[in-house]
Amino acid sequence: METLSNLLFGLGVALGWQNVLYCFVGCFLGTLVGVLPGIGPVATVAMLLPFTFGLGPAPALIMLAGIYYGAQYGGSTTAILVNIPGESSSVVTTLDGHQMARRGRAGPALGIAAIGSFIAGCVATLVIAYFAPPLAELALKFSPSEYFSLMVFGLVAAVVLARGSLIKAIAMVCLGILLGLIGTDVNSGAIRFAFGQLELGDGLGFVAIAMAFFGITDVIINLEQEGKQEVFASRIGSVLPTGEDLRVCFWSIARGTGLGSILGILPGGGALLASFAAYMVEKKIAKPPRTFGEGDIRGVAAPESANNAGAQTSFIPMLTLGIPSNPTMALMIGALMIQGIAPGPQVMTERPELFWGLIASMWIGNVMLLVLNLPLVGLWIRLLAVPYRLLFPAIFVFCCIGVYTVDNKIFDVYQLAVLSALGYMLLKLDCEPAPLILGFILGPMMEENLRRAMMISFGDPTVFLTRPISAAFLLAAVGLLVAIAAPAMRAKREEALKE
Amino acid sequence: MKIRSPQDFWSGVVFIALALVFIVLAQQYRFGTMHRMGPALFPTLVGVLLAGLGAIIAARAFVLDGLPVPRFHARPLIVSLVAIVLFGLALQYLGLAAAVVVLVLTGAYAGREVRPIETLVLAAFLAVFSIAVFVWLLGLPLPVWPV
Repeated sequence: METLSNLLFGLGVALGWQNVLYCFVGCFLGTLVGVLPGIGPVATVAMLLPFTFGLGPAPALIMLAGIYYGAQYGGSTTAILVNIPGESSSVVTTLDGHQMARRGRAGPALGIAAIGSFIAGCVATLVIAYFAPPLAELALKFSPSEYFSLMVFGLVAAVVLARGSLIKAIAMVCLGILLGLIGTDVNSGAIRFAFGQLELGDGLGFVAIAMAFFGITDVIINLEQEGKQEVFASRIGSVLPTGEDLRVCFWSIARGTGLGSILGILPGGGALLASFAAYMVEKKIAKPPRTFGEGDIRGVAAPESANNAGAQTSFIPMLTLGIPSNPTMALMIGALMIQGIAPGPQVMTERPELFWGLIASMWIGNVMLLVLNLPLVGLWIRLLAVPYRLLFPAIFVFCCIGVYTVDNKIFDVYQLAVLSALGYMLLKLDCEPAPLILGFILGPMMEENLRRAMMISFGDPTVFLTRPISAAFLLAAVGLLVAIAAPAMRAKREEALKE
Repeated sequence: MKIRSPQDFWSGVVFIALALVFIVLAQQYRFGTMHRMGPALFPTLVGVLLAGLGAIIAARAFVLDGLPVPRFHARPLIVSLVAIVLFGLALQYLGLAAAVVVLVLTGAYAGREVRPIETLVLAAFLAVFSIAVFVWLLGLPLPVWPV
């Protein structure tokens, strides 16, 4: 009952005309930028961040959430029509979605993706409403040592579930933590690692890091391997799936939604993992066993539902614990801090209008996505025809202006250039940027909690093992690492991530 | 000894180098004790961890087979970075309108083919668009014209 009244309260906030407007603008802009090939959701959210600076915390977050799932959905459109996933979570959508487009069924593919995403989004909103409050209440009881261990666990879990080499990912987390420590130490007032630059006293900008690693670096890599694109823009036809399509997809959408909701909550989970898992499950258990990979509509419905559900439930650890499970959530935390709100479990009790307003707005956002996407598909397709040589200078412009407007400092623009060079080098060495961003956001918080824990325990590090909850987190982290490092598991993980 | 996985080897080297920078720089601050941690303690701890991981990654490259480091393409990288720096300089002295034009005109050369007229039109369009959206619509405090 309490959840219901909270949701109604949130709905009251979210339905204020201003918030509805920002939710709409967010969904629209998110889809618009997300459709463009080669721009993922992280870059989209980072580039559009300046649009929210003038707003209060609640409308800003509502708009950013809209941008996020708009970008998510826009990526699917690109995946189906161009065979280039706009972002990694729609990689699997290209498998069957693009095949459908090749057979002249692009319309129903886009339609089922929208419908599946809508259903998944509605369910995921309920999941958040029911699971977030108890989690936040639990987290409020955490002492610094438990918080520290939780962050260690969160980072390890995020790394384990990410792509690529495990040990490199852990190293990237450490590098991220170190970069996060640049600037003024809140406790001693010492300005650390500033190389004599006064401007570095505030630390590196997280917007600069996100844009460098996910925006500029991506452009540079794309320019190196510019290739021909195949756009199926001419034959869309009706976007409405047939009754038969809907019947076939019903259970796929249900399974995708369930799987996505669960996987989204895990640290390191979210949209990417959810869509991969949903596709694999679907391939194994869907009946009759039609041919996946050759344009099976269930191969679109399941991962699309899952990635939307996962994208939304990944808000749970961000909202309740202040711990980002993926780079987009790291950006959300950064946006909260820009708004002057310390992320963590206290947000729910101290700013209920923000918390419940955001959750309720997800419903409204999902309705908007549905009404926005089905009729406007024609517009999105025309965007796809924009050649990359016109697109990438625009990305430069938005990144540069965006990075400047965070603090109105020219220095941040130069930071962007230096960080882009670093990001490029790391990417060439096959080091994934996502763990670095998570470490960057969590680094200062980890140091602070470690310091407090040590203060309370009089410098006794065994406190992390004698307090049961803390010990459980650390044990879980070690367990995960051991499980992944074991040869049998490693082979499985690689196989699963490859598919 | 032969490096069998250059990509891993060089990542390890980069990690070690960056870790050393942080460890060395950290030593100028107070270390403190575990009970009262100084500003040097945590960075040193993480730095040592990073250096250790880097060493393992680099050492592993002698045992496990892996990929070579992909070719660095100088042009897109350098042109993009130069364009961004020029944007910063132009924004400071000439204002947003000129900065966007400079950024687009320079940045376009990061791509393979440049069509001069098209690029000019794009630069003008983006300049007008940015001023309209960021300055007029959103009211962000950006200098539009030279000061």
